[in-house]
Amino acid sequence: MAVTLTRKLWTVDEYEEMIEKGILDEDDRVELIRGEIVKMAAIGPRHATCIRRLEKLFYGLLDEAGIVSGQNPIRLPNDSEPEPDVALLRQRVGDYVQTHPTVEDVYLVVEVAVSTLATDRSEKIPMYAEAGIVEAWIVSLEEDVIEVYSNPDNGEYKTMRVAQRGETIALPASLPGVVSVDEVLG
Amino acid sequence: MAISIPRKLISVDEYERMIEEGVLTKYDRVELIRGEIREKMPINPPHAGCVIELTSIFYDLLGKTVVVSVQSPVRLPNGSMPEPDVALLKRQGEAYHRRRPTVEDIILLIEVADSTLKSDREEKMPLYAEVGVPDYWIANLVDGVIEVYSNPVGGTYQRVHIARRGESVVLPGGLPGAVSVDEVLGS
Repeated sequence: MAVTLTRKLWTVDEYEEMIEKGILDEDDRVELIRGEIVKMAAIGPRHATCIRRLEKLFYGLLDEAGIVSGQNPIRLPNDSEPEPDVALLRQRVGDYVQTHPTVEDVYLVVEVAVSTLATDRSEKIPMYAEAGIVEAWIVSLEEDVIEVYSNPDNGEYKTMRVAQRGETIALPASLPGVVSVDEVLG
Repeated sequence: MAISIPRKLISVDEYERMIEEGVLTKYDRVELIRGEIREKMPINPPHAGCVIELTSIFYDLLGKTVVVSVQSPVRLPNGSMPEPDVALLKRQGEAYHRRRPTVEDIILLIEVADSTLKSDREEKMPLYAEVGVPDYWIANLVDGVIEVYSNPVGGTYQRVHIARRGESVVLPGGLPGAVSVDEVLGS
């Protein structure tokens, strides 16, 4: 039976070793998704502005209740180390100095989609669901909505809600406050 | 499983560093093909037997006039570092102790194909033709022939000859002697 050559997949440990040893460096804008090292899309002004808005909103709501982390790695059990645009993390002793946050530390991930909506839905959301991230949002600047995914079960989010302008979204995991869709989309 | 987000391509230098730093170890049976690190197939007896035959035939015919290199990396300019089953390389003194063989050192590359026939034709062949590897053989265990490719121009081999059982293949590059298809493929 004929086969074609399969790509080598990396573990998170191998990926972090490459970063530690400078084989991957700051010029490599990459993430690890299910064992594959993939390129991150460059961030244009619309994308960057939306990230800043989200960070500001979250800071305002959370105060000491959680940590707002923008574009930093999180370690997932399915050979993935993505860098979600914004993540809400729980307070942890040692403050993530030694190791990146893992699933249990993450209240929420938010991806801002300008041109990447299709791959955010087809690659990122299933990856987060599989890993057990309790809630994930896609802020779609093209469609002008926020897609709210929750209840990960068996590799999929069982609940998805499309939040429109004029609506609000409660923060997950009984964190205080709600976020207004209009404030996020600007 | 295919991924729709563009993969980062790994350069030959990055790949060499991964090996140097032990991120890739001897347990990783991999090759670098156009910036992608690919798993190699495990080698079963018919495949291994064929490599053994080729190696011993080349030593008999050529002795120390050339280097016979088995499943070792060659560094190619198209972002690749494959490990062809058998490579005939020019003698370069002690150079291969210090550096990888490159295209200029290559006389002939041979891939032994059983389950890898498709990729040996569709991935390896263009890879080698593109960079000007002068002669390429596929020892095709599936069909019981040796496919003889030569004269790379514009990324493809212009001459193809299928050598069948009972026939011989003349050595390339003006080297003396010929190789019997039966001896290479075994019975």
